[in-house]
Amino acid sequence: MIRNKKLFLVVTSILVLALALAGCGQKPAEEAKGQKDTIVVAQSADAKSLDPHATNDSTSSNVMTQIYDTLVYATEDMEIQPGLAESWNQVDDTTWEFNIRKGVKFHNGEELKASDVKFTLDRMMKSSKVSHIVEAIDSVEVVDDYKVVIKTKEPFSPLLAHLAHSAAGILNEKAVKEAGDNYGQNPVGTGPFKFVSWEAGDKITLERFDDYFRGPAKLKKVIFRVVPEGTNRTIGLETGEIDIAYGIEPIDKDRVANHENLQLIEAPSLGMYYIGFNCEKAPFDNKLVRQAVSYAINPDDIIEAVLSGSGFKANSPIAPGVFGYNDKLNRYEYNPEKAKELLKEAGYENGFKTELWISGSLANQIAQIVQAQLKEIGIDVSIESLEWGTYIDRTAKGEQEMFFLGWTTVTGDADYGLYPLFHSSAKGSAGNRSFYGNPEVDKLLEQGKVATDIEKREEIYKKAQELIMEDAPIFPLFYKLQNAGTQKFIKGFKLHPAGHHKLYNIYFE
Amino acid sequence: MATAKKSKKNKKRSQWSEVWRRLKKNKMAMVGLTILTIIVLLAVFADFIADYDEVVIKQNLKERLQGPSAKHWLGTDEFGRDIFARLIHGARVSLKVGIISVGISIIIGGILGSIAGYYGGLIDNIIMRTMDIFLAIPSILLAIAIVSALGPSLMNLMIAVGISSVPSYARIVRASVLSIRDQEFIEAAKAIGASDLRIVLKHIIPNTLAPVIVQGTLGVAGAILSTAGLSFIGLGIRPPAPEWGAMLAGGRAYLRYAWHVTTFPGLAIMTIILALNFLGDGLRDALDPRLKQ
Repeated sequence: MIRNKKLFLVVTSILVLALALAGCGQKPAEEAKGQKDTIVVAQSADAKSLDPHATNDSTSSNVMTQIYDTLVYATEDMEIQPGLAESWNQVDDTTWEFNIRKGVKFHNGEELKASDVKFTLDRMMKSSKVSHIVEAIDSVEVVDDYKVVIKTKEPFSPLLAHLAHSAAGILNEKAVKEAGDNYGQNPVGTGPFKFVSWEAGDKITLERFDDYFRGPAKLKKVIFRVVPEGTNRTIGLETGEIDIAYGIEPIDKDRVANHENLQLIEAPSLGMYYIGFNCEKAPFDNKLVRQAVSYAINPDDIIEAVLSGSGFKANSPIAPGVFGYNDKLNRYEYNPEKAKELLKEAGYENGFKTELWISGSLANQIAQIVQAQLKEIGIDVSIESLEWGTYIDRTAKGEQEMFFLGWTTVTGDADYGLYPLFHSSAKGSAGNRSFYGNPEVDKLLEQGKVATDIEKREEIYKKAQELIMEDAPIFPLFYKLQNAGTQKFIKGFKLHPAGHHKLYNIYFE
Repeated sequence: MATAKKSKKNKKRSQWSEVWRRLKKNKMAMVGLTILTIIVLLAVFADFIADYDEVVIKQNLKERLQGPSAKHWLGTDEFGRDIFARLIHGARVSLKVGIISVGISIIIGGILGSIAGYYGGLIDNIIMRTMDIFLAIPSILLAIAIVSALGPSLMNLMIAVGISSVPSYARIVRASVLSIRDQEFIEAAKAIGASDLRIVLKHIIPNTLAPVIVQGTLGVAGAILSTAGLSFIGLGIRPPAPEWGAMLAGGRAYLRYAWHVTTFPGLAIMTIILALNFLGDGLRDALDPRLKQ
């Protein structure tokens, strides 16, 4: 009995303590109004590097976009606006002239000069991670301190969209040379926030840059925290230790939206998720088989069960926000009967065995639904789950039969969304993991790159999408909505369709 | 001759019945044995309880994440599949992996351990130092490395879990062999010209069984836990086959909304491991000759 009493005491005191601690967690959120000038942003992974030329992933970009500015930038509506370049004009088909804004200061006190722009773009062209973004550029010439001329190899219409990519942030030549190999841990840019410290795997601290050329930000400090588990990001929001959480799990969405202190922000992204078929491997070298599989998968089930509704069915390899998107395309509406007919026509009346390659837990859930749906038409799918690095390497070699991947058209231009995925020269690691090749599509994609007339370009891309959907090298499943949860007092925060969000305009209310 | 043989047989039977008698006295061990028997029976008759194609792997997205009810005793998972049915079929996987992987480690570990113990010297040194190197690597890490290299599948999972616990069996067998090797009846066998193989198989191995049985019982529990752990991080068997660790991982995101999706697989893992540990502890006591009255 006495022992039980003791146990009872221990348990009660633990419970009381837990309640008290839970109460503590609420405080920061309540106190936050008024004197608060620091925000904590939680995202799923740590940045890999803060050197824009050393990596090209969204968690790193999310931090770098606060530190660096680009020559031009795309608004949340994907309109190109002047950034570090005050103005520009296209001299001829392949020559662009940029006037650099005067009096812009880097975080180390240096003034931005045309030579920094040339240095940055030259360095970028040599980078193995991001050179593909500027591969159209032939040379960068400094005219005077505030004027550069960029020459492209051939006419390249989407140049501005590419220069607005977050990886094209302008670096300071002196800072890069001084830091040497450690530049990725000591970034210097012109952006609204400057780098303070980085505790690997835990947090990155940024501080307001008072000489920012658009005027200092209202926030004093920004802390990026790494919180890998989606559920924990939501709990962090609820307890008030996190102010903005990127990527709320679909299942937690309602909880955040209905919480009295929180708000859920949702916006379309430029990402498209798809099932790819290896067009060089039987049976997927047969167009009918690819179409049959496309008819047999029902994206509605995936959107409902896996995304809890935060996505919408795709009808094209590029998202509606991307220039050149064709809204008139017919998608493969779920129709298992039609799928069976097509399989029969292709000579696979009794179905076949195949593998679906995936990486990650979202992919795993989607794959299980696809597996169940394809079973209905007699296709026996085994799911091969690989670690991300292995997955990327082996799909680039073409070892897969079916695979699941996403592609985000960060530049908001059809060229970036279609050329790497469907041009026959891009087979493998460049992006065309379905090993698709169609001379007609190749020709259109090449024409689209060089065409200068906007309407003509749009037409070219619409035609290309039609041909691609007909050939079905991939089956576009859905466009994902991106979201973030924030405390209610945070105002002025917008999600950028390209997936990296600026914090400059945030203020409290 | 005939009577001698018979009395030997009698003695053998009585030795094991003595163990059984002592085991029966141990309440915890009997609880463990009962639970284990129920789980084994459920696994054996799984097909009669729930059809694999129609219930276990058939998705029904309209009924996803439902709580326990009369129709679905333990609720449904994120794809609307019956959790009870999946648990029962999952028991097959867990038991199979547990027993076969322990079998693999006993066979390999036993052979290596008896060679090392019987011959001693340089061979002993080489084998046991290699085992020490293996022991220095955490077994779950070793298993992860093996599965990553071979690719995830049921067979590879069993090999990985099996190989990663070879060293502990090799050590146990070697220690027993060492203690038996120098006893007089071995010397006697040698004197009448028995071959090494015969001595090891007929005279030494039977006497090392007790500690191996105990370690094996506990080892099955460890193997089931390793399997669940590997499945949890996506290195287990391929979906849609039900596996407890994978079920746990699948329900993780829904923890705050559908507690049953993770709770029941978790309880299943806990129960079977507890039962095996009870039984293993009981066996250890029952097999210990020093505890003979």
